[in-house]
Amino acid sequence: MRTDMNKKYDIVIAGGGVIGASCAYFLSKQKDLKIALVDLKKPGNASRASAGGLWAIGESVGLGCGVIFFNRMTMQNAAATGDDLPPLRPHVLPDYFFEFALKSNAMYPALWQELKDQHGVDFKYEKTGLKYVMYDQYDKMYADSIVDHIPGLMDQVNWLSAEELAEDEPFINKESIGALEFKCDHQVNPYRLNEAYLEGARQNGVELFLETEVLSIEKQGSRVMGVETDAGFIACDTLINAAGSWAAQLSKMATGIELPVYPVKGQIILSERLPKILKGCVSTTDCYIAQKDNGEVLIGSTTEEKGFDTTNTLPELKELVNGAVKCLPMLNELNIKRCWAGLRPGTPDEFPILGEMEGTQGYLNACGHFRTGILTSAITGKLINDLYRGLPLDMDITPFKYARFLTQKESHHEETRLA
Amino acid sequence: MQSSTPVIIVGAGTAGMSAAVELAQAGIYSIVLDEAPKIGGAVFRGPYREAIELPHLDSKLRKKISNIRQQYHDHQTFIELRLNTRVLGPAGQHSLLIRHKEDVSELSYEQLIIATGCHERSVPFDGWQMPGVMLLGGVQLQLKSGLVRPGQRMAVVGTGPLLPLVACQLHKAGVNVLGVYEAGKLSDFAKEGRALLNRPVLALEGMGMLSYLTANSIPMHYGQGIVSVSGDENINKAHFAKYTDDWYPIDGTGTSLELDCLAVGYGFVSRNQLSQLFQLEHDICPTSGLKPQVNVWQQSSQDNIYIAGDSVGILGGEGAMVEGRLAALSIAQNRKILTPEIVNKHAGTYFTLLHKVKRFRAGFDRIGRRREGLLSLLKPNTIVCRCENVPRSAIDDVIGQGVKDITSLKMRTRVGMGDCQGKTCNSYCQDRLGYELKSTDIGHIKPRFPLDPIPFSALFDGVQ
Repeated sequence: MRTDMNKKYDIVIAGGGVIGASCAYFLSKQKDLKIALVDLKKPGNASRASAGGLWAIGESVGLGCGVIFFNRMTMQNAAATGDDLPPLRPHVLPDYFFEFALKSNAMYPALWQELKDQHGVDFKYEKTGLKYVMYDQYDKMYADSIVDHIPGLMDQVNWLSAEELAEDEPFINKESIGALEFKCDHQVNPYRLNEAYLEGARQNGVELFLETEVLSIEKQGSRVMGVETDAGFIACDTLINAAGSWAAQLSKMATGIELPVYPVKGQIILSERLPKILKGCVSTTDCYIAQKDNGEVLIGSTTEEKGFDTTNTLPELKELVNGAVKCLPMLNELNIKRCWAGLRPGTPDEFPILGEMEGTQGYLNACGHFRTGILTSAITGKLINDLYRGLPLDMDITPFKYARFLTQKESHHEETRLA
Repeated sequence: MQSSTPVIIVGAGTAGMSAAVELAQAGIYSIVLDEAPKIGGAVFRGPYREAIELPHLDSKLRKKISNIRQQYHDHQTFIELRLNTRVLGPAGQHSLLIRHKEDVSELSYEQLIIATGCHERSVPFDGWQMPGVMLLGGVQLQLKSGLVRPGQRMAVVGTGPLLPLVACQLHKAGVNVLGVYEAGKLSDFAKEGRALLNRPVLALEGMGMLSYLTANSIPMHYGQGIVSVSGDENINKAHFAKYTDDWYPIDGTGTSLELDCLAVGYGFVSRNQLSQLFQLEHDICPTSGLKPQVNVWQQSSQDNIYIAGDSVGILGGEGAMVEGRLAALSIAQNRKILTPEIVNKHAGTYFTLLHKVKRFRAGFDRIGRRREGLLSLLKPNTIVCRCENVPRSAIDDVIGQGVKDITSLKMRTRVGMGDCQGKTCNSYCQDRLGYELKSTDIGHIKPRFPLDPIPFSALFDGVQ
């Protein structure tokens, strides 16, 4: 059945997660374009499953989401090679990722004000800092090594002694020997951020096709002409692929090339609602912990490659619980209210895929944001807007273009594995 | 498929116990899990503490309570009961995660029967959260299991066959029952006479209850319903009115009663959180909420998971008994313990009875079909989701913003994100959004794992 709508859009955005919604918001600010956003809520949608950390430095140095994964990878390597467990080395991303993350992070205070004042939505931006809590000398060595890697960010680094940590965060394990704090790493409520972008976009005139599935992409030669959905055909000049973990299938339909984007499962635990027990966000080498705006304590997260599976599994939950109770012993007296799993849109080198695809006209990528979609949604929306309009970009996006996979022999990811 | 592993049954109510007994009769072992300390489910669990006499419960109910216990007793070699045990959700493939006290463990199954029953449909109105406003099933549990009187001066309001029954039980328990308010019109009942005669005994029992009410001067008001309640700390007044055909209260027809407790019952919802977590196929059912799809043998879209009783659509005790037995027969046949001939012979009478029960029930479902007027009983500041304190006005706002699905409604307002996982507010939210969008295709609030809170200590391996 084909119900041709007599309307042609300048842009159709496929995907209403935090990236698609941010693109819709930034592109619609001048209210000069006809934009449609198509979204189907699928189990595992990463924006809704996210922790909502804006851990610009933390994520760039492998804390937060990545920490369990890198921890385990080090142990597996040691087991495989038969070597003694090497001291854990931080997984520090290259400078261009720092720039991407820090620039995005710097946008949130103003964005929060803007969405509140102009659109009446509050995504609960909270200044928390991120503390890396250390239990022993190995943790301290790890922290030292992190700091060695970021000489340019000393003004954002704060060392806390055991006493200072105990005073600042009285519920954290008293055996801790101190903490390394990143002063600029804060948090938001992730699904409120998602809904805030969407509502801002809607008020700016973006048409939202919710609960709508993209079935196929219509092309004329190498040009995208529109999107066939279960709600009818939507004609457009440009299609933006913001389909998260489902981006590979969409790019295949639109360009004939399957993007290297695949789901990376993360399980999360949420406590019952509590009075304020954490001032800041916390990462250890076992897990990260953040108390959210409504009092629930969120604990994450595993890194598993299990396809589109979103089930919760006992061994992984226990691992998170053990890490969390070690850090915040009082949790042992409390209850877990919810568990879930989200699907991060992973890429081989952990970096997003932004911009055009050679050989296809009327198509832009805004996908593959892996662990940092919430954090980097703001700059992604802005970059995509500037790119679409041919404006000068805030930063060079060459490292994030799809073309990198064609030239690179060995991905960063592989190098890390071999190291 | 020859197998000696026990069938796992979730729920020791009528459906679950009937299944266990039927399996036992075929020589098949089962493990029956239930969150309560006694078998029988909400309807036939009986008192938590033993009492010598239960004069407020009719003899038939007492007999059924003892029957179900006797049946278990007669077959207990084949039935392992695990009471005070809660099912938290699936654990990987073919296992359940269960909790008994502080122990969280996995229980694997080859075949699973979900017989989780139903929970009450909460219909919010101005004042519904006030102490003293109770749902009908809760009132019954106080009478039957708790052996306490919920109030001194009470009224019963809502729709369905449970209204006169609860009114009689309350009266026998010594409560001053001031009136019964049934939203369905008397003419609706007359129209459904044929349907209700599918179960003549039940229809007669109903007539008996109505004459009991008349004999004891308890007025039965048809075509009337709740408007609001008022009071200070506790309810002290309830306000009723005549309803239009769409159940909007009619101005100028209001009456009020002074009372200290109100029983409210606008129906039940299938307790389908577990079947949803298994990602079984479900249909939207206007009466029972989301309803798992099953074939005539109660087999779900995953062929080793069966669903029986009110959790697969509200039919009451007889339906639950039959469905439990049909599920058991199908498993016995699949395990090649009973031949198709024997199974079909046994099942024949069950199918006939189930058919009659469904036609009987359909009569009440047509009378008690919820109408849009119920959505008008909330003020802007009336709380819809009490876990997260979300008022109606917050829902009005996001509907104004063009929300098209229940998940977005949840994300924007936090309805359904609390401890109860939306069991209380989901009904209103679903009805409201469906009404505004003139569509039932709005998704549903998905339950999350675990279905019940888990203490961190139950998963913590370390020593503190």
